[in-house]
Amino acid sequence: MQALARYRGTFVFLVTLLVGFLILGTTGSEAQRKRGKQAPPVSVQTPQSAEPEIKREQQPGAKESVEADVSARNIAVTSSFNGTEIVIFGAIDGSQQPSPESGYYDVIIVVEGVPGRLVVRRKGNVAGLWVNTASAIFDNVPSYYAIASTRPVEEIAPEEFRALHGIGLTHLKFTPAIGQKDAISTEDLKQYREALIRLKTSERLYVNRDHGVAFTGKSIFRASIVLPANVTVGPFDTKVYLFREEKLLSRFQVRLTLEREGMERFLHSFAHNLPTIYGFMTVLIAVSAGLLASTVFGRSAH
Amino acid sequence: MQFYLPVAEMSANILVFLAMGGAVGFLSGMFGVGGGFLMTPLLIVAGIPAAVAVGTEAAQILASSVSGALAQWRRRNIDVKMGLVLLAGGLVGSVLGVQLVGVLRRLGVFDVFVSACYVTFLGVIGVLMLVESINAIQKSRTGRVVSGRRPGQHNWVHGLPFKVRFNRSKLYISAIPPILLGFFVGLLAAIMGVGGGFIMVPAMIYLLRMPTQVVVGTSLFQIVFLTAATTILHASQNYNVDVVLAVILMAGGVIGAQFGTLAGERLRGEQLRFLLATFILLVCARFAWLLIARPAELFSVSVAGNA
Repeated sequence: MQALARYRGTFVFLVTLLVGFLILGTTGSEAQRKRGKQAPPVSVQTPQSAEPEIKREQQPGAKESVEADVSARNIAVTSSFNGTEIVIFGAIDGSQQPSPESGYYDVIIVVEGVPGRLVVRRKGNVAGLWVNTASAIFDNVPSYYAIASTRPVEEIAPEEFRALHGIGLTHLKFTPAIGQKDAISTEDLKQYREALIRLKTSERLYVNRDHGVAFTGKSIFRASIVLPANVTVGPFDTKVYLFREEKLLSRFQVRLTLEREGMERFLHSFAHNLPTIYGFMTVLIAVSAGLLASTVFGRSAH
Repeated sequence: MQFYLPVAEMSANILVFLAMGGAVGFLSGMFGVGGGFLMTPLLIVAGIPAAVAVGTEAAQILASSVSGALAQWRRRNIDVKMGLVLLAGGLVGSVLGVQLVGVLRRLGVFDVFVSACYVTFLGVIGVLMLVESINAIQKSRTGRVVSGRRPGQHNWVHGLPFKVRFNRSKLYISAIPPILLGFFVGLLAAIMGVGGGFIMVPAMIYLLRMPTQVVVGTSLFQIVFLTAATTILHASQNYNVDVVLAVILMAGGVIGAQFGTLAGERLRGEQLRFLLATFILLVCARFAWLLIARPAELFSVSVAGNA
């Protein structure tokens, strides 16, 4: 107890500072959230953000048009975030389908995350050790890509259409970055590309569900996709394509946004925007924890 | 119980990391070591990115060293002057080490580099401790007394210039060896996510020939300031300190250490060292295997600029 009295001054000072930081933290994130509600954060993202949230496009001559929405347009990544499932549902206006099971129409749904730059590295054996020896950089790699359809997309849409619109994992439109560190042969590039898709698929960040879209009525369909816990935050474009006999009839696009919220948001932006102060805060917490331990337990761990 | 780590950007089970902190805390309390050289490899094995493991671990070592340093301070077991000289070298080493982490991450070789460092250090220390503890166990069985440090003996360290008087350690030696020692430990602390006590303590005893009673205190004293500086440097330059993960590990570590200290009092010193040496060699073997075995997946993906 004597020791406690002796260091009380320092201890009280540190605890006060810590509490101060926490109050600052919560009010800061409150303010940010309020601001976030009025105007969606423009942050680091892509030209995507400048586009409207909803887009529709009707093919000339087509009688049917498609509309869709997602179960949640704004998803919060909080400290308890462990992935989430979203439902995409849509309806066909002027549907001529006799029954839900008839397969009269085909629907493709693509959910695509923020494009970014990624490095793919390949390990090689150097003097008996497995070390990263070569790499390739890709631009416009979607952070997340899910595709669901009424049947395999190869049967729904012609090859040229899929290539043009980036439909299907093989037609993802990411490109090798200009100014690679190493010169890469076409064959190697193909390997890197395949490895990227394979790794993203194994992390459940790239998803392909051939029969993931189901008609629940003559004009109503739905699909569900899973956003895993490791997904990158940002806007996600959800594109819905309506097909009939390999011909596009109508297109619809809606955006959903995944955002950090509360403590998550505060700590992440704190760590990246005020890194030095964040470092000091971490040190302060560590020192307080150590002092607390030695006063509570009365003796040191050493 | 899942919790999303804000800097590591992954969902983690709190209980797993609490238990991990507790287990390493238990070992560090039992053996009287800092635990960084066990915690960082465990974090990496558990899937935390190597750089985040290293940065976050600096903060945790700080927390677990503060109480120890405070206790030593009360017992006046700290040579402040020696601590400051070591720290001067240590800070330079830390700054350089943090830069090196950044460069290696951009080159994509940080993980392999850290693994290689761990295999080397854990291997050497594990084997040395194992041999020493087996010898000690055998000697205690045959009834001979193990002799400690022989005072008054001089080595090459005492021939260097820039001599400084360290009153508390009763030493009059050149400032160069402590500065170099501090630098080396600072570099290791930043790259490997360790406190460096496991190198600092033997070096102080055998190289600088400091009296044993001030060695632990002085080592802890400089570890506190070194890890504080390293945490801030990592946070500001590499953005790899996860405060949530650090707090979870601290909580587990503090509680584990209390039980570890109790358990440590019941075991004999050489048996403890034998157990620790075995454990260190197991961790070492795990890292060596990862480096040598052909990985199932040769490719890896990361955001450009990070490892």
